[in-house]
Amino acid sequence: MKKISDITIIDDDAITVFGLRKLISSSVECNSIESYANGKIAIDALTDFFNNDHQIPQIIFLDINMPIMDGWEFLEAFLELPIKERIRINIVTSSIDPRDQKQWEFFKSKSHHLITFNQKPIDRNTITEITQVS
Amino acid sequence: MIKVPLVSNTSYIIRQLPTPTAFIDTDHNIVQTSDTWTSIFNENGESSKSKSLFAVFPKLSHKWKMVLDNCFNGNPQPMGIHQVIDAKGQELWFEWTNAPWYDMDENIIGAIIQLSNITDAVNNELELNKKNLLLQQQTEITKIGRWEYNIVDNQLFWCSTTKAIHEVPEHFSPDIENAIYYFKEGHSRNAISMALFEAQNNGKAYSNLKLQIITDTGKEKWVMAGGKPIYNKGEMVGLIGTFQDIHEQVEASIKTIDNEKLLRILIDNLPVNVYIKDTESRKVLINKAECEYLGVKDPKEILGKTDFELYPYESAEKSRAEDLRVMKTLKPVIGKETVNTRLNGKQTSFLSSKIPLLNNKGIAYGLVGISLDISKLKEKEKELRNIINIASVQNKKLLNFAHIVSHNLRSHSANFSMLLNFLESEKDEDEKKNIIEMLTQASNNLLETLDNLNEVVSINTNTNIEITEINLNDKVLDASQNLSAFISNSKAKIENNIPADFKVKSVPAYLDSILTNFITNAVKYRDPERESLVVLSAEKKGDYSILTIADNGLGIDLKKYGEKLFGMYKTFHDHKDARGIGLYLTKNQIDAMNGKVEVVSEIGKGTEFKIFFNEKN
Repeated sequence: MKKISDITIIDDDAITVFGLRKLISSSVECNSIESYANGKIAIDALTDFFNNDHQIPQIIFLDINMPIMDGWEFLEAFLELPIKERIRINIVTSSIDPRDQKQWEFFKSKSHHLITFNQKPIDRNTITEITQVS
Repeated sequence: MIKVPLVSNTSYIIRQLPTPTAFIDTDHNIVQTSDTWTSIFNENGESSKSKSLFAVFPKLSHKWKMVLDNCFNGNPQPMGIHQVIDAKGQELWFEWTNAPWYDMDENIIGAIIQLSNITDAVNNELELNKKNLLLQQQTEITKIGRWEYNIVDNQLFWCSTTKAIHEVPEHFSPDIENAIYYFKEGHSRNAISMALFEAQNNGKAYSNLKLQIITDTGKEKWVMAGGKPIYNKGEMVGLIGTFQDIHEQVEASIKTIDNEKLLRILIDNLPVNVYIKDTESRKVLINKAECEYLGVKDPKEILGKTDFELYPYESAEKSRAEDLRVMKTLKPVIGKETVNTRLNGKQTSFLSSKIPLLNNKGIAYGLVGISLDISKLKEKEKELRNIINIASVQNKKLLNFAHIVSHNLRSHSANFSMLLNFLESEKDEDEKKNIIEMLTQASNNLLETLDNLNEVVSINTNTNIEITEINLNDKVLDASQNLSAFISNSKAKIENNIPADFKVKSVPAYLDSILTNFITNAVKYRDPERESLVVLSAEKKGDYSILTIADNGLGIDLKKYGEKLFGMYKTFHDHKDARGIGLYLTKNQIDAMNGKVEVVSEIGKGTEFKIFFNEKN
């Protein structure tokens, strides 16, 4: 298993963040796991990384329903960053709204990053599968 | 012994007789004729003496021989009238008479035949017969009967047609009393009595009297009577007149009038606008509904006018073009939806038809227009469309809500299942404790979510919400009282500019919730740079009472968040108390009362919410 440098979790629900952290750290090896409570904080941090030539996290776990800036708004802003590497973005949601499915397909088609759509809850097997460098 | 008449002595006398006379002997030979005879029957005055009578008149019947033979025996008989052709070929009528011819010894030696020319009389009689026949035929065809009244001997004569009209037998002999009695009691009998009186006493003729009679068989009939006095040597001797059966015509014209009345009643009382236009598109007939639509009492105010005098120029021009097309192509316009704008700007929706009116040559001489006012129908249609729109919006809202519910419940259950999974395999006691704490947290979150959802459902399903008229100021005071600790802690100021007697129609509990939520939000999202000020005001506008809540807080980027402002669990401020439920609930409450919310905001300046309470509730 290839070692992963950095993982970022963007979710406003503390329990989900706790669970993801626990699952990831027990399934894969990585340098660091960062978490942000909404899209706005996350995009500000990542933009800052990019501007200062810091390493962009290789894998991002992204919630959709968040205050201030939701998952889709984050994605839109993130895709505007001219990042050369292929980042893996795992959308994690409990939504079964077909509109969210459509949004995902839309973003997937217009980006060179790997974007996946995952329903909560996520088990250990899924975590192992989606926590690989694309 | 054969007696030979002595003629020579007397022949000269005979020749001078003024009437055509011939003497014949017992052998029927003409012995002597008068010159008048000769001039009629003989060419060139040549005498037909010594010729046989039957040779001169070959057409004479042999019956005459017997008549003449009787005459020879002293029994002369009338010979009657016979037609002969004279020497010039003319048809002449003569009455023949004969008498025995005696000699001086009183012996019959022949017969004297005298002719009297009655050609003129016969011709007159023929003419009279012809005229009578003609008259009779005429009366039969025209059903115009005649009558004559002789004043002197009080005799009344009816011709057969007059009798037929009265339905009396041919042998009936009328008199002036029963003649009047045949007229129907009342107007008819009075009128004819008056007319006869005037004619007899003042010599006034009368004509074209349309009256009713009761015939002998009891039928009512319309007749036309006329009469005039006749005079002999300046003295009135009687009256003559005509008598005509006009029952069918009168009945037909009464029926026509009745039909016209019926048609007019129908046209006037149809619940549609009806008009007739001539080829110049001038209105020549309009019914009551059209009068009412055009706002006039008397159709005369409209008749003769064109659309150019009743409608704005543009629509009149369009209508005229359509009229011309209908009359030219003869193709009717049926059930076309139109909107008519009158000169006063009022608009009416019509379902209108235009049908060409054709003369007997198949050319249009105008058109009839029928317009059904469908404005109300259109309004209903609009209302219905509105209801469909509302239903579809609500449907969408419901689906959205279903997704929110599903999402929220799923996210909690996902957390439960994840945490329980961890708990199962966790060895570390401290971590176990931690996980159980989180489970408690998750359970509390779920309860809160369920409470929120419950609240939303109760707003949207409670159709029996009781809307009452509430003094807005009282409620604002209540809300400020309840929030007083929060407001004073936030060092905010509430400025209430609502008129003391301002009332709104609302569900009391919803009004409480709306005021609490908007005031709380206004204070909560204050700008830390300045003292918070919330200004409340109210006004009435149209069907709404409008409450305005303006603050000088942070403001919201409406371009970014406008659509989501009233969404569930949408928060736009990085604020620890933001739950994203308050505005969602109030919006639902306002919607449930048929109201609406408008928002104006500028980042760094503040936000202004306008809450519209529907006064039609």
